[in-house]
Amino acid sequence: MTMTLSRTFPPSWLVVLPLLLLGWRLPAQVTELGQGAEQKFEVQLIWATNDKKSPNPKHKPVAPEIRKKLDELPLKWENYFEVNRKQFVMAKGGRSKADLSDKCSVEIKDLEGNQVEVTLFDKNGKAVFGRKQPLPQGEILLLSGNAPDKTAWFVAVKPTK
Amino acid sequence: MEMGDMKLEVQLKLQAYLDGELPDGEAQELAEYVARDADARALLTELKHTRAAVADYEADIKLPESREFYWSKIRREIQRLESVEPAAKPASLFLTLRRLLVPAGALAVLAIGVLITTQQISSQKVLNALETETAQADVFTYRDYDSGTTLVWLSYPAENSLADFSPTDTYQ
Repeated sequence: MTMTLSRTFPPSWLVVLPLLLLGWRLPAQVTELGQGAEQKFEVQLIWATNDKKSPNPKHKPVAPEIRKKLDELPLKWENYFEVNRKQFVMAKGGRSKADLSDKCSVEIKDLEGNQVEVTLFDKNGKAVFGRKQPLPQGEILLLSGNAPDKTAWFVAVKPTK
Repeated sequence: MEMGDMKLEVQLKLQAYLDGELPDGEAQELAEYVARDADARALLTELKHTRAAVADYEADIKLPESREFYWSKIRREIQRLESVEPAAKPASLFLTLRRLLVPAGALAVLAIGVLITTQQISSQKVLNALETETAQADVFTYRDYDSGTTLVWLSYPAENSLADFSPTDTYQ
């Protein structure tokens, strides 16, 4: 029995739809693959307080981008001061460590699939906390804890370009 | 007998008589009949005139080649036309494009499947990481999906190896 071409072939939408979907998703995958052999992160040490000013004149209010994210969290502090800021540059899949203060240092390890492993070290160089999670562009990881006089510290980790 | 009433058989015999196709005996009988019947005579006369007219007309047509060669050309042309396959229709752009899109679409489906599977595996890794995280004591994790912020709160005492003695001691 002779079949017409239109009966032999699948419907047009069944052919075109996968191509459209692939065209929509593939650039993101290619971008991820082609991001180069370098990963960059910015790490900030932040002090949270209800005081309007920091006793340390070198401290300055955190950048608006960070401030906005902090304000969206259920935190009780009114002011956040940037104590230190470090840039981490590492090879893809590599790791980098830097001191944020005399008593605090951070190591970042780049993992597969936009994931990172962040490790916090105390003044004795002992790893006190480690966390592994995805951290794509635009997102931020805040490690935090209590500080004396009902204040708090934050270590903000975010990927940069 | 009127000519219209004349039997068809007699009319055919008259035509055969004129063409010389009747046997001698029958031809003689028909000749006698024609001599007696005026209608038969009139019809035979008319047939003679018609044949003469047709013969004169055909005589004016001259074939450029012999009769056999002329008809053989016609036969060959008929055979040639019958043997020629109908010309294939040129494929339209749409059909050509579709032939290319079908395998491309199949490959796209395969690629999407691979991407989805990869992402599911990746998500599973993330889930495992979070589960590991929650297993740690004195740690509270809060996730704000709208702002893409993850807050990890370490419930250590304010005076610890990270922050001790004074408010600014943590970072100085």
